[in-house]
Parts: sequence; structure tokens; C-alpha cells
Amino acid sequence: MKKALLNLWGDVVETKALVFSILIILTLTMGAHLLAPSDNDTLGLFFGIGGAMVGFVLSAMLFKPQRIIREQERD
Amino acid sequence: MDASLILWMIGAATLAVGIYTFIGFIPGTDETSVLLPITLAVVLAGVQPIVVLTFFIASIVTLNLTNIMPTAIVNLPGGVMSSAMIEHSLFIKKSGKTAEVIKKMVAASALGVFISIPLSLFLALFLTPFAESIVPYAPYLFIGGAVFLSLISKAKVLSLMAIVPLGILFMSLRHLYWGTGVVEEGTTITVSFFLGITVGPLLVSLFRLLNPKTYEASIIENKSTITIPKKDPDTSNNPFKLLSKEERSHASLGALIVNFFFVLSPVGLTILIGESFNKRFKDPLKKATMSVTTMSAVVQATYLSGIIIPLLALGIPLSPVAIGPGNALFRADPVFTLDNNLHHLLGFSEFTLAVVLGALIALALSYTLIARYALSITKAVMHYIPHEAVLALFIAFIVLLAYMDAGLINIFGVMLIGLISGTLNRMGVNYGIQFMSLYAAPQVVAILIGGF
Repeated sequence: MKKALLNLWGDVVETKALVFSILIILTLTMGAHLLAPSDNDTLGLFFGIGGAMVGFVLSAMLFKPQRIIREQERD
Repeated sequence: MDASLILWMIGAATLAVGIYTFIGFIPGTDETSVLLPITLAVVLAGVQPIVVLTFFIASIVTLNLTNIMPTAIVNLPGGVMSSAMIEHSLFIKKSGKTAEVIKKMVAASALGVFISIPLSLFLALFLTPFAESIVPYAPYLFIGGAVFLSLISKAKVLSLMAIVPLGILFMSLRHLYWGTGVVEEGTTITVSFFLGITVGPLLVSLFRLLNPKTYEASIIENKSTITIPKKDPDTSNNPFKLLSKEERSHASLGALIVNFFFVLSPVGLTILIGESFNKRFKDPLKKATMSVTTMSAVVQATYLSGIIIPLLALGIPLSPVAIGPGNALFRADPVFTLDNNLHHLLGFSEFTLAVVLGALIALALSYTLIARYALSITKAVMHYIPHEAVLALFIAFIVLLAYMDAGLINIFGVMLIGLISGTLNRMGVNYGIQFMSLYAAPQVVAILIGGF
């Protein structure tokens, strides 16, 4: 897949990073959820949210935001 | 009530501030999809009802306050509510007044909290005697609400036309799940359905990109350029002196009015009040400042009244906030049901204590955090949090809740809802109408089959 920038929901994203972020976070969320005892909804939700957080941190480490940041001189 | 319970409440509020300060600073985090799963987790964890309420109130006050930061500092909407402020805050930034106006927005936001808490508690008390006669008609009220929201929206006829087909969509999925035995007959799936509505517009955008032609045409050349002011918003002074007399009166009046319209969509109200209050100001900077300060107050007031009034007076989710982000306070099987939720479990004084404590802790803590660290947090978020991960997190939350509601098939059921809702949303049917249609769905179908 080629690297390509897109404007999505108010900010710029890069296609490959978006696809991989979705795959990583989704896999970890659902994977963690399925590890929880299936008869316990509470644990299932906690495991799922936990997996989502791990995936989020991982994606943030793997991909750089598509932003050019400048500091305003005067404000 | 013993001291340990108070400590629990303080702990819960502090936790909420921690979580939602972080989330609030991340642009593009939709309020419903970040409030609902975490609130649901807190409810299901079995903590005391009063602690749940404290947590939720602290969550919304913090989120509404911190969402101002990305909006004002880098002009990316902190959440759905702050999208209304983008244009004005962009202008303020171009005029180089961001640091000054942020202070005003924070003060106005706090003002909104102080006005709407007593007022909505009072309105709830006023409504309570009528609750018994209102509740049986709730199904009709939902239909009425959907119709009313359609009539005050920009696309009136379109929105009215959408109510019945949407109702059929929701009910057909429920009956499919009952018929195939995916869930027990009578189990009403709601949570994942309205997250489907929430994710709709994003889902439609993503699906459009799956068409190679559209994809090629959407590719852009440049990264987004973000300018961050150098100076921290210095919020050390008395917050209420920061607002001019005019700003104070407009923000107060706006926050006051919206309490009476708690059944209406918060975003709609924020735009309506914010844009109509600024009309008489000719100076563009003054106009922009007036809009964002009024909106900051109104946002808090819509959320607080939208949860406090239905929860205290009725016990059924009769406002967009209650149906959306606050849904878990009304229904979270097996802990809360429509016959046994915070409305039934908390007395007036406990309710008031939870609301006041949650709001005060949230204001005090997040105000301190903002005063000291607003710029550094924003810079860190811009540098280290990719938008891709935010969007992916949003999707993962919804897939998780869809799966938990009714298994694998519901992931695609929610996808179907998202595609239809998102398309309607793009066409002009707003979230509020769609949420109301979801709650009105059983009655809509019953009327179609058997008449009134």
C-alpha cells in the first residue's frame, strides 16, 4: 500500500497508519475481551477496554501524527 | 451515610477527572462513545449508586471543560459539542487573543455549571409530581420528541420522513436476533445501536474510501499545520472577574434558558443560543468571543440538565444526553433497569450531594490542571497522539460493545445502522432525531401494525 494522506474527521491521517491502527487496536480489544471468562460481562468489558488502551498506546508509539507543529511567536 | 462512602465519592470524582482530562485534550473524541463504555464499566463493577452518579457528573463537567482546550489552542474540535466553536476560535487565534479568551471560556464553563445545577435540581423537583402521569406516555413522548426535534431542525421534512424507516430498521434487527435466538426474546438491544448512530458519519466516510476512485480523489498533499501559542493561559485570577459584564450576562442567560429545553439536542441548542446571542455585536472579535463564552456555558448546562432532570424526576431517559452518554445510569442490565435505577435508588439529598460533590471536585481539579498545564498537555497530544489511533479506538469500542450486546452478527448489524444513520446524518437528519427514533422504535412499529 502506498503512503497517502487523507483528511478524515477534522484532521489528516495516513492510510497505512490508519489501517494498521484499526487492525492493532481491534485485535487487542477483541482478543483481550475473549480472554475474559465468558459468563462475566463486567470482566469482559474491562478486559476489552484494557486491550483497547494497550492497542492505543502501541499505535501511538508506532505511528507519528501527520501534523506540522509550529509555535506562535506572539499570543 | 458514613465517611467511607464520601471518600469513595471523592475517589470516583478524582478518577473521572484523571480519565476525562486526558480524553478531553485529545481532539475528535466523541462524547457519547467515550462516556458510555466507561460509565457502563463503573456501573457493572457494582459500585454504590451514589458513587456512580458522582463519577458521571465529574466526568461530564471535566470533559466539557477540557474539550475547550484543543478547540481553542489548536482549533481541532475536542468533541462533537465543541465543533460549534471552531470557526469562532479560529478567528480568535488569528487575532492573537487565544490565551486571553481561553480564560474567559473556562470561567464561562464554570458559570454554566453553577447556574444549571441548582436550576435543573429545582426543575426536576417541580416535574416530579407529574412523573407518574408522564411515565406511562413515555413511548409517545419519544415519538413526540423525534417529531419536535425534526420540526426545529434545518431539514424538517427529511427528518420527519426518516423517523419511521429508522424505527423499522432498529426493530427489524431486534426481531432478527430474537427469531434466530441470538438473544432472548424481549431483550432490548440499545447501547450498541446508538453507538452505531454515533459512528455513522465516520463509517460512511471510511466506506466511501473503499471505492478506489473516491479514494484516489480524496488523497491530499499536505500534512495539517498546527500553530500553538507560546504562553500558557494564565488562569490564576478570580475566574468570574475575567468575564466582562456583557459576557457574564449572556453566558448566564444562555445556561439558564437551555435548562428548560433539556429534551432537545445539546449540539443544536449550543449552536442556536451561541449564534443568536452574538447577532448584535458588530466588532468581529467581540462577536467571536461572545459566541465561544456563551457556548462554553451552554454546553455544560445542556449536559447537566439533560441528565439531572430526567434522572431525578422521571427515571426514564427522556433527553438526548440521557439516551446517549448517560444511558448506563438508566439501564445497564443486570444492575440498572428502567424500574430500578439511580432514580429509584437515590433520595433527593443523596442525589444532590453526588451532583454537587462531583461537579465541584471536577471543576476545582481540572481548573488547576488547565491553569498550569493546558499548553504542555496540548503540545504533547499534538506531538504524540496520532489521529489514526483516535479513530481506531472509537471503532474498537463500538465493535466491542456490539459484540457484547448480541455477538458476531451484531457487529454487522451495527455496521448497517451506522451506514444508514451516517448517510441520513450527512443528508441533514441530526443525531438527536436519530437517538429519539431509536427510543421511539417499539411504539412506532406497534402503531404501524395495530394503530393507536
